[in-house]
Amino acid sequence: MRRPSVPALVVLVGGLLLADFLIVNESLGQLASIVVDLAILVAAGAALAAVASLGLRRSMDLWRRRGDPLGAGFVLVGIAIILVAGLRPGSEGAADPAVRWILVALLIPIGATLFGLLFVFTLLAARRSVASRDRAATLLVAVAFLTLLLLLPLGGDAGAWLGGAARWALEVPIAAVFRGLLVGIAILAAVFAARTMLGIGPRDE
Amino acid sequence: MSDRLGLALRAAPIGLVLALGVAWLLPEPAGLSPEPRDGGTAGRVTATLDELDESPVVVVGFDPDVGTYPEMRPVVRTLLAELLERGARIVIVSLTPEGRALLLAELGRLEAAAAPGDATIVDLGFVPGVEAALVSLSRSVAAPNAPADLATRLAASGLGIADLIVVVGGNDVGPRTWVEQALPRVGSPPTIAVAPTTLLPELLPYVESGQLDALIGTPIDGAAYRAAADPDPAGVAADRPVDRLALLVGVIMAIGVLGQAFAGRVVPALRGSRRGERP
Repeated sequence: MRRPSVPALVVLVGGLLLADFLIVNESLGQLASIVVDLAILVAAGAALAAVASLGLRRSMDLWRRRGDPLGAGFVLVGIAIILVAGLRPGSEGAADPAVRWILVALLIPIGATLFGLLFVFTLLAARRSVASRDRAATLLVAVAFLTLLLLLPLGGDAGAWLGGAARWALEVPIAAVFRGLLVGIAILAAVFAARTMLGIGPRDE
Repeated sequence: MSDRLGLALRAAPIGLVLALGVAWLLPEPAGLSPEPRDGGTAGRVTATLDELDESPVVVVGFDPDVGTYPEMRPVVRTLLAELLERGARIVIVSLTPEGRALLLAELGRLEAAAAPGDATIVDLGFVPGVEAALVSLSRSVAAPNAPADLATRLAASGLGIADLIVVVGGNDVGPRTWVEQALPRVGSPPTIAVAPTTLLPELLPYVESGQLDALIGTPIDGAAYRAAADPDPAGVAADRPVDRLALLVGVIMAIGVLGQAFAGRVVPALRGSRRGERP
């Protein structure tokens, strides 16, 4: 057992929250509230730290002319614009009209455009992966091809048949594979949690 | 690869985008999925809403992501419009920054579209911590901007005052998080979820087990619900419907590109095997 403090903390907090969930007790509830509020504060602090770290890293990129200075400049300008709009004197914070305008007129359309471009780049990537003669990639593209046939937005009997087949494909084979993955992930998470609580790390194996 | 073919391949993405743009501008021909195919979703949503009392308190968890929100946006706007038409008092919260950004845009749109004058929309803002935030909100909520009676009830019982919970989910936080962390703590009120299609396999069991009363998880279900709800199309539900001609053109192009790639790989292999060559 290398670091007993971490598993001890996990067991303590987990046990407290579980006890609070099962037992109605005001003191226990208040104690659990403090722990939960602490977790929220830590999460907020981590988010702020991540943004600060991003800003610092991009500032260094810009200062030392390494990586992508132009991109770094855009990131810093974006952070500065949002900060000025949200924190200037008299601002309403996140609900300020200037912040809303930036989000509605810039951020969301740019984000949607980037995701829209995925349509083109995914197709190009699919072509390249098939051209690489990888069997798994060929199988993947073949299944995507069949799935797209089922998703053709047609009317009439043909459209109804395609829609039924698409729904069946989603609810039976795709759902089966996906749920299998989820069950696997859940088992791994449970094993990882148990290892954490028991203080077992890679060095103990 | 010849120069001409190489040039054509390089120009293909531009041609694709142009073709989609032209399809978007052209009028939609008849015969493209004219009737939304309802798998019963619209009925379940309406039945859940019909069971609510007058002026219900509806908690909305709003955490879509920019990538998948466009496929849910028309449904979300219609659902919000229907809730407002039914006199619901909406308490809305985001647990992700991306959800918060999209929520601010929707709230701004609701204000601009002149939501009903007596509409109550309490914005709880962004609460970090996701699971911890849901546990905390289930206990008590500070809502200084809410009407006094609602603020008192929120402070005393948190999200437990909800007559209905609506979860607009995305890839990061969605109905599963709410089902796991919030619903058991607030007495499992009726819950409607709107989620992207990619989440359907993990969410369908919650519908089958009754933990979610209704789930709108595909654009087809969304179209069926919109057709059934039919709130004021010029009001807060206003939205551009999905352009089915552009959708058809996009799907055909994707089929063409993938089919060509697949055929280019498989046909030579088949010819080779017929001639006795090893792949």
